[in-house]
Amino acid sequence: MSSKDEILKKLSADGMPEYPYPVPDFTPQRFDDPAATFAERLEAAGGRAVRMAPDETLDDVVRRCYPDARTIASTMPELGIATLDPDAVEDPRELVDVDLGVVTGAFGVAENGAVWIAQDIRHKALYFGATALVIVIPKDAIVDTMHEAVMRPEVDDFGYGCFMSGPSKTADIEQALVFGAHGPMSVTVVIRA
Amino acid sequence: MKVGLFIPCYINAVYPEVGRASYELLRKVGCEVEYPLDQTCCGQPMANAGFEKDAKALAERMDALFAKYDYVVGPSASCVVFVREGYPRLLDNYKEHACVDARIWEICEFLHDVVKPARLDARFPHRVSLHNSCHGVRKMDLSSPSEMNVPLHSKLRDLLALVEGVEVAEPERRDECCGFGGMFSVEENAVSVAMGRAKVQRHIATGAEYITGADSSCLMHMQGIIDREKLPVKTLHIVEILNSKL
Amino acid sequence: MSTHSKAAKRFVADAERMAWHDKALYAVREKRDRMMMTVPEWEGLRRLSSEIKRHTLSRLGHYLCEFERNATANGMVVHWAKDAAEMNATVWELVREHGGTNLIKSKSMLSEECGLTPYLEERGVDAVESDLGERIMQLLHRPPSHIVLPAIAVRREEVGTLFEREMHTEPGNSDPTYLTHAARKALRPKFLDADISMTGVNFAVASTGALAVCTNEGNADLGTSFADLHIAIMGIEKVIPDMAALAVFTRLLARSGTGQPVTSYTSLYRRPAPGKQIHVILVDNGRSEWLADAAHRNMLKCLRCGACLNTCPVYRRSGGSTYSYFIPGPLGINLGMLRSPKLYHGNVSACSLCYSCSDVCPAQIDLGEQIYMWRQQLDGLHLADPVKKLSVKGMDFIMGGRRRFYGGIALARAAEKLPRFVLENGLNPWSAPGRAMPPFAPKTFNGWWKKTKKDE
Repeated sequence: MSSKDEILKKLSADGMPEYPYPVPDFTPQRFDDPAATFAERLEAAGGRAVRMAPDETLDDVVRRCYPDARTIASTMPELGIATLDPDAVEDPRELVDVDLGVVTGAFGVAENGAVWIAQDIRHKALYFGATALVIVIPKDAIVDTMHEAVMRPEVDDFGYGCFMSGPSKTADIEQALVFGAHGPMSVTVVIRA
Repeated sequence: MKVGLFIPCYINAVYPEVGRASYELLRKVGCEVEYPLDQTCCGQPMANAGFEKDAKALAERMDALFAKYDYVVGPSASCVVFVREGYPRLLDNYKEHACVDARIWEICEFLHDVVKPARLDARFPHRVSLHNSCHGVRKMDLSSPSEMNVPLHSKLRDLLALVEGVEVAEPERRDECCGFGGMFSVEENAVSVAMGRAKVQRHIATGAEYITGADSSCLMHMQGIIDREKLPVKTLHIVEILNSKL
Repeated sequence: MSTHSKAAKRFVADAERMAWHDKALYAVREKRDRMMMTVPEWEGLRRLSSEIKRHTLSRLGHYLCEFERNATANGMVVHWAKDAAEMNATVWELVREHGGTNLIKSKSMLSEECGLTPYLEERGVDAVESDLGERIMQLLHRPPSHIVLPAIAVRREEVGTLFEREMHTEPGNSDPTYLTHAARKALRPKFLDADISMTGVNFAVASTGALAVCTNEGNADLGTSFADLHIAIMGIEKVIPDMAALAVFTRLLARSGTGQPVTSYTSLYRRPAPGKQIHVILVDNGRSEWLADAAHRNMLKCLRCGACLNTCPVYRRSGGSTYSYFIPGPLGINLGMLRSPKLYHGNVSACSLCYSCSDVCPAQIDLGEQIYMWRQQLDGLHLADPVKKLSVKGMDFIMGGRRRFYGGIALARAAEKLPRFVLENGLNPWSAPGRAMPPFAPKTFNGWWKKTKKDE
């Protein structure tokens, strides 16, 4: 008998009655101004939200946020100041420690400051290897809670995806919060105008 | 209202004044109080140590002693919790809603939920720090547990509000365990004493003269630490405050 | 004295360290409380989470098969392992087939449970822990003392000295930011040169065949970004029905564990990237037997958030190393007993029955109540402490008869007249350094009542 069969056989003999899938007895919270809550909670997670001004280009915003970034990797055609096309790179190791990655996110989640990214670049290494990350999301693309988030079409079809809330962090040494444990030291979410 | 007074073993032996105050307080709010003689122990100490079955004879005895009372009332949250939770497993011929577990009340919840007195004619011009005991909080809802997102409430505070002159404070970490835990205080005495010390210090930090609560066992444990370290605070069961004289 | 009690005595003896440990963890508990208060439906969420877990456990075989079907359709390879040995052997076989000896790991309690790292090291595999806390413990050659904060009992100066030796940091510099960034630098080549990456799994979504991995450091994701083989190991209880359930658990997990609204990274692995492989190992290792134990099957609802450790007043004041099972606190007491009562019953005393653990648990597991149940089971397993048993029998004998009880009190009262050193010694269970004996009253309540009623 295979291990699978053995395990399944034991599970079928667990003597546990079947319980139905439960129905929630609450309505998930909603926020008066989801974008404001999103910005506030993202900031608490060590990131920041930046709204694009109507007359601003993506180049302007990125420059405004990261004036010192020299190597900028992005596949976004509108980003003129990009210095590197990450999809043209064979070895993902080359994306590690670039100053800045600029990538697309689908929407933000107000309750926790997270942004859903469904991988649309060749190497996901950029999301985690860049020293700083800019995630660009569409205007008004903020849902209230995770309940709504997981029902969005963007979370229905993907190979790899991530809810990312602020930069990489750790408090493993005496509970002191430090950004940039292994991943980005800084994360900025740009909300389009 | 006829009440059978339940006096736990250590109150009988160490804190008889808590028994007397309970008796007088219940009388004062209009109850007819009887004390079935020769009570010993509800069985909780054995059970918490892992020998619940050994409490069977004691449970049978309690059930028989209090068979005729609609209300059984005692000044100890943890004992009452044990009767409620443990006796259904222990009593022979257990009948739901008929045995002592269905009729027993901790005295503060009884006053708060059943008697609902409008006044107590009590006066206690002192600052007290409220000891929210674990079983009172998490098993009896005497006050809202700090772990849960539920509306804040405290039956002990509500009752103390009827006492003239008393100033009520609560320590930081308002419902953290004091470290008594029955056999725990013996078996894990190093941690138990460390917990007790920290708790007493937090009570003292409120500036209170007295630590008060609904569980004499916690108070006894903390008093042991206070006595040993000669700390500037005293413990007092809440019934003694509710029963204080004008 | 239990094994925990003996070890705890040593931890308590270092009062300054104990106070620091207690305070650091209580601060996490307070962060959790603040997070909880931002979610009005918190208690409803806990209830829902508990019920989803219960439902899933009641159809565990069904959901595991659904997960396998969908994950396979997504291009993953699913393996089943009935115990630790089979899991380790499966990993080893995958490593050998793939080639290479550099393995980068993210935190997995299952790996600790199965002793995977030492198993691989014996076979020449350099299995590097990439979570900072885990890495510190690995370099210290000590087991983690907390499931979420592995290095919580290690002070910054110790980390400074360790990194000085291992990473050549500046002597005497124990600044957490400096040390964290030194570790970041030192671990970079381990990530980049890894042949294989390994992660645990927080949730496996049956309906989509996706794996959810939650970290704050991003170490799991960085690890899986370079190596072309990703091995994910998971206990069979980690499967959840669907994405709606994932929303419920992700709302609770980090809020409960570290007091964050969500972990920095909640990553979903659904299809391997082109040219890469994901192998998932579903591990039983006792879980199917625990599921058959109606009194304790609730333990399988655990999300491994660590909230019950942070709130436990005993754990905070005794530290993870005082528990004989690799998971400490209320969770570890219970899981240790499920694993082997004979080996791990020495932890059952480490509970004052305050039930705070049951109230913080995001899956509403009755942790405290189960510890109470285990205490009741010890005698039947012939594992009860004979001294305690004797003292309970003695108590029971005294309480069992009114004459013995009231006569006993009179005797004790007389005994109190004895000098203090006779009373407060090791033979008297109530005496402990730091706590005085309660004096018996001159008259019992019973005696007072008899007299009063006679006088009336």
